[in-house]
Amino acid sequence: MHLIGEFREKEALIAAIQALKAGGFGPRDLAIFSEEPVEFRRGILDRPSHMSQIAVSGAILMGAAATAFVYYAQHDYKLTTGGMPVFSFWATGVITYEMTMLGAVLATFCWFLWESGLIRRRDKTAPIPEVNPAAMCLRVRCLPEQADGVHEAMYHAGATWVDRREQA
Amino acid sequence: MASAPELLPYGQIREDLFRPLGGASRRYFLTTLAVSLVAVAGLVAWGIQLRYGMGVTGLQRPIFWGFYIVNFVFWIGISHAGTLISAILRLSDAAWRKPVTRAAEAITVFALMIGGMFPIIHLGRAWLFYWMLPYPNDRLLWPNFRSPLMWDLTAIVTYVTGSVIYLYLPLIPDMAQLAEHNTPWRSRLYRALALGWTGSDREWHALERAMKLMAGIILAVAVSVHTIVSWDFAMALAPTWHSSIFGPYFVVGAIFSGIAALLVVLATIRKTMGLERYLTRHHFNNLSKLLLLMSLLWAYFTTAENLTVWYGNAPDEMAVFGARTRGPYAVYFWTMVILNFVVPFVLLGIRRLRTVSNAVIASVCVLIGMWLERYLIVVPTLANPRMPSGFSTYAPTWIEIVVTVATFAALVMLYLIFAKLFPIIAVWEFKPHPEEED
Repeated sequence: MHLIGEFREKEALIAAIQALKAGGFGPRDLAIFSEEPVEFRRGILDRPSHMSQIAVSGAILMGAAATAFVYYAQHDYKLTTGGMPVFSFWATGVITYEMTMLGAVLATFCWFLWESGLIRRRDKTAPIPEVNPAAMCLRVRCLPEQADGVHEAMYHAGATWVDRREQA
Repeated sequence: MASAPELLPYGQIREDLFRPLGGASRRYFLTTLAVSLVAVAGLVAWGIQLRYGMGVTGLQRPIFWGFYIVNFVFWIGISHAGTLISAILRLSDAAWRKPVTRAAEAITVFALMIGGMFPIIHLGRAWLFYWMLPYPNDRLLWPNFRSPLMWDLTAIVTYVTGSVIYLYLPLIPDMAQLAEHNTPWRSRLYRALALGWTGSDREWHALERAMKLMAGIILAVAVSVHTIVSWDFAMALAPTWHSSIFGPYFVVGAIFSGIAALLVVLATIRKTMGLERYLTRHHFNNLSKLLLLMSLLWAYFTTAENLTVWYGNAPDEMAVFGARTRGPYAVYFWTMVILNFVVPFVLLGIRRLRTVSNAVIASVCVLIGMWLERYLIVVPTLANPRMPSGFSTYAPTWIEIVVTVATFAALVMLYLIFAKLFPIIAVWEFKPHPEEED
């Protein structure tokens, strides 16, 4: 089941998260909903990301693939080069660079879609709270027997209201 | 004095910025219709060119590059407004960027769409454009990857892709909000584009990370794109083109014209959408100072470029230099110097004169001046080739003029449609800054 608590103050939200983490809940069980990004100090609710590594990997892959393709194409149908090499990094460096950047752009975008959960299959049964513009909602996934403890922790931290929701 | 938008209640910000999307006034319809008609006139002119061939233009040996290539360079330059302004300010976490970035990013996408059309228009036989693409074919032919034309293709494809994603990403949270309480067709559109955004911290974290990364990538791409455009010229052994500073010279010119375009657009949307509370004098003052800085840099590069030509005194280069400064192009050259340097220096350099209206006047002057600069780079060199027997002149025909005017109308049209469909200022970005909060 899920419990949803609404918070008006960021400090109250942090206190609730810390209390829940101390009670054994992990970042996977917690989700915050807001109409604007909420930033915390490191260690409160970290969401580790591999986006930078993915962007670099995408860049290297696409750059290498483009260079290999140009090398193949230039050897497949050799143009007259007036004694210059058929393939030269000087002449194809621009294409390598641009395709490297394109790889980084596409990898970043695709990984954003994946990491944000927008295209990944999510728990469709989890309720999504309607958030007031000035508020933040904390959703906690818990077992029915833990619900009272979670309810108490959120109220104690300063939630304006806490709601129990069964699977949507 | 208007309060800083960050201090307004979030609900008020949302209402102010979403309001222009609802309903369309008679003036909006008429303006959109008028610019659409001009854009259609450009398509008709291009259609005539396709029907009767390149003979209907003023292009002839040895001047094969005229208005179309001038426009190509000009529009690619304008496209630097978004990426560079937005990416630099985003990376440096400048708080004043918030109302400016989306307007700038939209300019980039539209200017690139328009600029990217010109090489195709210039091809003449536009329907053979796909020959540029490396696809397996029965003649076993591949494009010549050593050609700067292929460099342009890859650079523009990368830049367009990156810019569209860079514009789209921060639109997602706004579209998710717009999907609620809207007309049915708009709700469907926004819901589809928002990809099921719920506003969870996982989504916000991913978005902010992606935007930071994209800002860095797009910055590197933007600089490379205009450098590559400059190499279209610099890789040719033509007088005054074969210059090692052409890359940075073009990039400086691009940022210069991009900021000018951004100032004009911001002043227009501020006035027409009633966004005086969000686009304050502070924003115009900052952008004006940037424009002034770029004007000085442009003057420095122009001096360096021309002084080395004059000092070198090579006959073929002096022929071009003379044509530009004393000959048939002198009136354009000195007009360019006045518009790009004297006017911004006076209007923006003197603090008392640095008002919103003067910033717009200076920006319009810079846009005209930078178009003339592109013209002066392209045409006089081709009109004065190394072989004196090849000297020629160029005069554009009505076809080229109509196509050119139509591109300006097309930008206005695209912008009008965009501003009616999407908030021109990112609503969610008006969150309190963490440092400010502390």
